[in-house]
Amino acid sequence: MLRSVFTKTVWDQRRGLLAWVVGITGVGVLYAAFYPSINSPQMQQALEAYPKGLLEAIGMTDVGTAAGYLGSTTFGLLGPALIIVMAAALGSSAIAGDEESGRLDLTLAHPVSRWSLALQRFCALLVPMVLSSLALWLALLAISGPAQIGSIGPANMLAGSLHLAMLGIVFGALALAVGAATGSRGMAYGAVAIVAVVGYFGNNLGPTISGLGWLHDVSPFRFYAAGQPLQHGLQPGDLLVLAVISGVLVLAGTYRFDRRDLAV
Amino acid sequence: MADMIRTNALTKRYGRRRGLAGLDLEVRPGEVYGFLGPNGAGKTTTIRILLDLIRPTSGEVVVLGETPRLGGPALRRRIGYLPGDFVVGGAQSARQLLTHLGHLRGGVAAARIEALAERLDLDLDSRIGSLSKGNRQKIGVVQAFMHTPELLVMDEPTAGLDPLVQQTFLELVAEARTAGQTVFMSSHVLGEVQRSADRVGIVREGRMVAVEAVDTLRSRAVRRVEVTFDAPVPVDAFAGLPDLLDVEVEGTMLRARLAGRADPLVKALARFGVESISIEEPDLEELFYVYYAGSEAGSEATDAA
Repeated sequence: MLRSVFTKTVWDQRRGLLAWVVGITGVGVLYAAFYPSINSPQMQQALEAYPKGLLEAIGMTDVGTAAGYLGSTTFGLLGPALIIVMAAALGSSAIAGDEESGRLDLTLAHPVSRWSLALQRFCALLVPMVLSSLALWLALLAISGPAQIGSIGPANMLAGSLHLAMLGIVFGALALAVGAATGSRGMAYGAVAIVAVVGYFGNNLGPTISGLGWLHDVSPFRFYAAGQPLQHGLQPGDLLVLAVISGVLVLAGTYRFDRRDLAV
Repeated sequence: MADMIRTNALTKRYGRRRGLAGLDLEVRPGEVYGFLGPNGAGKTTTIRILLDLIRPTSGEVVVLGETPRLGGPALRRRIGYLPGDFVVGGAQSARQLLTHLGHLRGGVAAARIEALAERLDLDLDSRIGSLSKGNRQKIGVVQAFMHTPELLVMDEPTAGLDPLVQQTFLELVAEARTAGQTVFMSSHVLGEVQRSADRVGIVREGRMVAVEAVDTLRSRAVRRVEVTFDAPVPVDAFAGLPDLLDVEVEGTMLRARLAGRADPLVKALARFGVESISIEEPDLEELFYVYYAGSEAGSEATDAA
């Protein structure tokens, strides 16, 4: 069972994983359950009364359809927030956390190279990302009748969930890479926080502020959401961009990791 | 046969702080080498360089014929390592952890783990988090020995072990030596290694101050002598004797320290009526402190050699 660093890491994550899966699917289900009440003429009028800028800033646009509603809520705000926090926690502990606690010395004194360790830990991080997004998909499918969100269709719901997993993977890669390069959990968390906040608002508001349009163009959230997977299905090009960014981050972080001293 | 470990003018700087300042170390095949020094002398730094956990600033290091940096996983497969601070996840049992570590090394027989655990009286099935510090250290000892490596590198291995387990540990070291394995272990207390080590290297402020066979150390060691006589004795009868230091006479009591052959003292004692006599076991710690504290001359002599 626990033959490699990969299987051991996946196994060690199991308890936390359960909590994250419950959290992410719970948020998805709760939001979806509200859709029937949001989808009423009165509520639509109420929303129209809000300034357009504010709604854009928090990603609440096009909430009149099931796909638009879920895209603004489950997949627009709390879903990404939760999966990014999970990615930051897992990514920062993958190397930096182990190093700060002093556990890494023992593992790396074994016949395991630093490259192998970092790559196996990264692969182990993919598992909870994919599992929690699949759990979210299944939960949404299960309640799609009562919540009146069936119009999205199973394939597009899966597409939205996989985009969410990929968003988590990018931030997990960022946390792991910064942690590997610096040995500091704090730095890893900090990098995720900065990129997430700047990326999120840059994506939503960048186009409306002159000179900051480029923030939208490079934000991970653009590749996550702009293709509207809930409406249009999987966006392979966008996913590929996020995958390449993840890969480059992990390779760069591990390159530095391989060349530095481990902290005592 | 080539040295198991050899370093040449090894230095390590952490920013402005000194780790090692030109360490020369030579560990021969099949010996038990005690690596001694006060805290902060550079013992852990040296050991972590041997395992490629940190990289030297300059100088040469060769372990089992290879540079740790280039030897990589294949080299570390041949080494058993016990870190000075043995930290592992608390949620697993010792058996789970040891099996996993065994797999990283290409598999270790469960029977071997069981046998070592039994000798050290280690419970393999409790959660590690529920074990005492001493019991966790036993897990560290097991994982270092379990794959019967050519070279054992252990940083303060007996820290936290109770005296009975220390005894078992020393037996394991002796058996490893008999089996042809080489053992390199650090300590800040000489007493911990003097019973098992063939040679001792004393490191101070990042340099090797002295390397001696333990037997030589013992023969040079200072013994405390206390003699009670039937009647008061004159100081002069003992004050001039060779190798007898710090002579004190108070009425019928003589206190001194003997730093060499006992013969002149015995002959001198024979002229008086002796009520009781006690000569302590060689106190290697005292010799050790001499090296630690004031041996600038000693360190230069080592450099010249």
